[in-house]
This record gives sequence, C-alpha cells and structure tokens, in this order.
Amino acid sequence: MRAHHAFAAEFDVNRPIKLRGIVTKMDWINPHSWIYIDVKGKDGKTVNWMIEGGSPNVLVRLGFTKDALPAGSEIVVEGFQAKDGSNRGVGKSLAFADGRKLFLGGSAPGANGEPEK
Amino acid sequence: MTGRYTLRSFPALALAALIGLTLPVAGETPLRTADDQPDLQGIWTSATVVPLERPVNLKGKEFYTEAEAAENTKRVLGISSWERLGSQAEVHYNMSQFGLDLSQEKIALSLRTSMITGPDGRIPPFTPEAQKRLAERAARNRGHQFDGPETRPLQERCIVFSTEGPPMLPAAYNSDLQIVQGRGYVAIVQEVIHSARIIRTDGSAHLPETIRQWLGDSRGHWEGDTLVVDTTNFTDRTAFRGSTASLHLVERFTRVDSETIRYEFTAEDPATWVRPWTAQLMLARIEGPILEFACHEGNLGLPHTLSGAREAEKAAEASKAVK
Repeated sequence: MRAHHAFAAEFDVNRPIKLRGIVTKMDWINPHSWIYIDVKGKDGKTVNWMIEGGSPNVLVRLGFTKDALPAGSEIVVEGFQAKDGSNRGVGKSLAFADGRKLFLGGSAPGANGEPEK
Repeated sequence: MTGRYTLRSFPALALAALIGLTLPVAGETPLRTADDQPDLQGIWTSATVVPLERPVNLKGKEFYTEAEAAENTKRVLGISSWERLGSQAEVHYNMSQFGLDLSQEKIALSLRTSMITGPDGRIPPFTPEAQKRLAERAARNRGHQFDGPETRPLQERCIVFSTEGPPMLPAAYNSDLQIVQGRGYVAIVQEVIHSARIIRTDGSAHLPETIRQWLGDSRGHWEGDTLVVDTTNFTDRTAFRGSTASLHLVERFTRVDSETIRYEFTAEDPATWVRPWTAQLMLARIEGPILEFACHEGNLGLPHTLSGAREAEKAAEASKAVK
C-alpha cells in the first residue's frame, strides 16, 4: 500500500499522546479529516489540539452526518504527536468518553460487520 | 452480449433517446445506451484482493480454483490495513475506524492470481536505458526527498494519484469511478483523487505530438461490445511505473453483465520495458454516489510533512553539535 503522505515524517513515535478533550469542530475533508479538541492541561489552561483522522467519504456514504460528532462531545484520543512539537497529533484510536467508538470499530478487519462481497 | 429494451413505454423511451439517457425497464437490465452502444455507465469499484504482480511461488498458475480463490480472498481480507502499512503503521490512524479497510469494501470477485496476464504474471524487465535513467533519478533525489513541495510525490501535492492513470488501478480506499457516455465521448471520473478523463469516440485523431497532457490523450472506438481506448501524448511527470512520455496504452472495457465490467490494459514503452504487458481487473457495480475528494482544500499533510522534516534536520544538526 502506498501512503499518500509520509506519516513517519510528520508524527513522532517517541511522543505518544493520550488526550481527553471537548470537540470544538470536525473538518470532513480529504485526504484526512481533522478533529479539533479543547484539552485542559495540568496547569488548568485549555489548549486546542488538532487530530488527524481518515478520509470521511465512506462515513458519509454509510450515513454518518456532520452531527455524528457534535461540538461539545467529550472524546478520548490515543495517538502520536507531531514531530515539530505543536499541538497536533494522529488519532490512532478515537472513542467517546463513555468508551463507545467514534465511528466504526477500530481494531480488527471487518469492524463494520460483514464485508460486502 | 447484447440486450434490447422491451417497448413497454414508448413516450418514456422517446424522451430517453432525446436526452441520450438509458432507461431501465422493469425486470430487464439495459445493456445498451439510447445510441445503441454497449452501456458502460454507472458507478463502479475497482477494489480487489488480486495483486498487480503474481507472487513468484505461483509462477505459471494464472488462475485459482474457486475454492483456492475463496481461501485467498479470506486471507487477504484478514490482513488489516494497519499490517499493510508496514513501518508507517505505528504513527498512522487506524483505517478501519473510518471504513477504509479493504474488508469493509465491496470487491469484484476474480479467480486471477495476478492482474497481469500470461504465464509469468509480472511486469517485464526494464531495458538497460530505463535502468540507467531510474538509477540516475534516484541518485539525484537521494537526500532531497523533503526539500520542498516539488520534491514530494504528485499525490502528496493533490495533483494526481498514481492509481488514477491511465491506466487505472485500485486505490487504497474509495476506489470508485463513474462512467458517463454521450455522443462522441466517454468520460470517467475517479473519486481518488478527482481526474475526469474525456475519451473521444468521434473518430478524431490524437493530438499533435507536441501537445502533452497529464492524463495523456485518449481516443476510443467500439469493437463489438468492447470499448477500445488508445492513449498517447503523456508528459514525463506521471511516469507510470517508471515509464516515459512515450508510454502507449491500450485499454479495453467490456460490460460482461449488469454488475460487472472487465477492464484490461496493455502498457507499451520501448524506452522502459523489454516488451509490452497486459493486466486485467474486474469493476463491480456499487451504489455511489461518487463524493468529491477535493484534497487541495485543507490538505495539511504536505506542509506538516515538510515541517516534520525540518525538525528532523534540526535534531540531527543538534546531535552532531553535541558530539
């Protein structure tokens, strides 16, 4: 598989992140969607992070609308931070605070149920 | 294979003929357009488990039995996108969260062990000229892959993906295309990433040699029920599989049934391969719609990749200074 951009150049495997935050917006764009979350730091200050996700086109075809992840939702993101140390990361695994998946299943193939043949 | 409309509703059919549309008749599959040409129209996926090149251990075996194909399909679909990503997997989002894993897509079934046809099933060797050219290009690029936007691949820059072609190959996901036919043309739009190729079927000749196009210049004609498309006039920018601007492609589209198109291409470039080679894949009908990909809008991948490369350089410089 050819990645259409060099994730290894962009994100740092030595900077794992686990963030809990409130969604401020989601950009349903290609080639990658972006989820913005307000994260409260240990110092009490709120910082806005942007988290890179996958192409939203299949989600749209499956009937997920832009309301699927409304602003104000609390989510948990596990992933890796940008190499340049900015408040940006890739969202390896995304879930609502109550443990529900954001969209589809996250780990195994066929996470969407029976694959169509 | 030919099909004909049953004249169930004359006024509707006349209207359809007037505006050049196909009119599905209840209970029948229309396989010809109002112009009485084979109908390739619709939305199709090229997603497949069949690799372009045959695994070397299967040399000489062009087709699986049905049981072997089912087994192989199960095996391939069991490989998650994550595993396919290889070394990039660690710092990549999980694709199945977004429905982008191959197991989450409709695929066309095939008994082929490779898209490339013939006993070998592999791309022919490069000519000595091509080997030299590609080695020189690699040497020039080494250490410069992250200099700036122009040193990044065309797909990272949202210009064109290598899978768009022509020839068309499956994309990693959203491997969808739409075919539209009218008088004198067939148009193909691919979701990934946005090319709209116009194939002239009006009998006109190719553009002059001095005019080059990113997608080449495509001219098609019908041979029985097959659309045969001849494409030349490429630039040297897309360099399909290391080829040059003198790439010559012949593609064949045949509607085999209401749900399937057989797509075949033959690639020829004496400046690149010692002989032409042919590949075949099945396109399966899907519901659509094709969604706009629009990757220029907010494609932060490119500036972020370059920013990460600058950071890596700084870090390398810093560690050198420390020594």
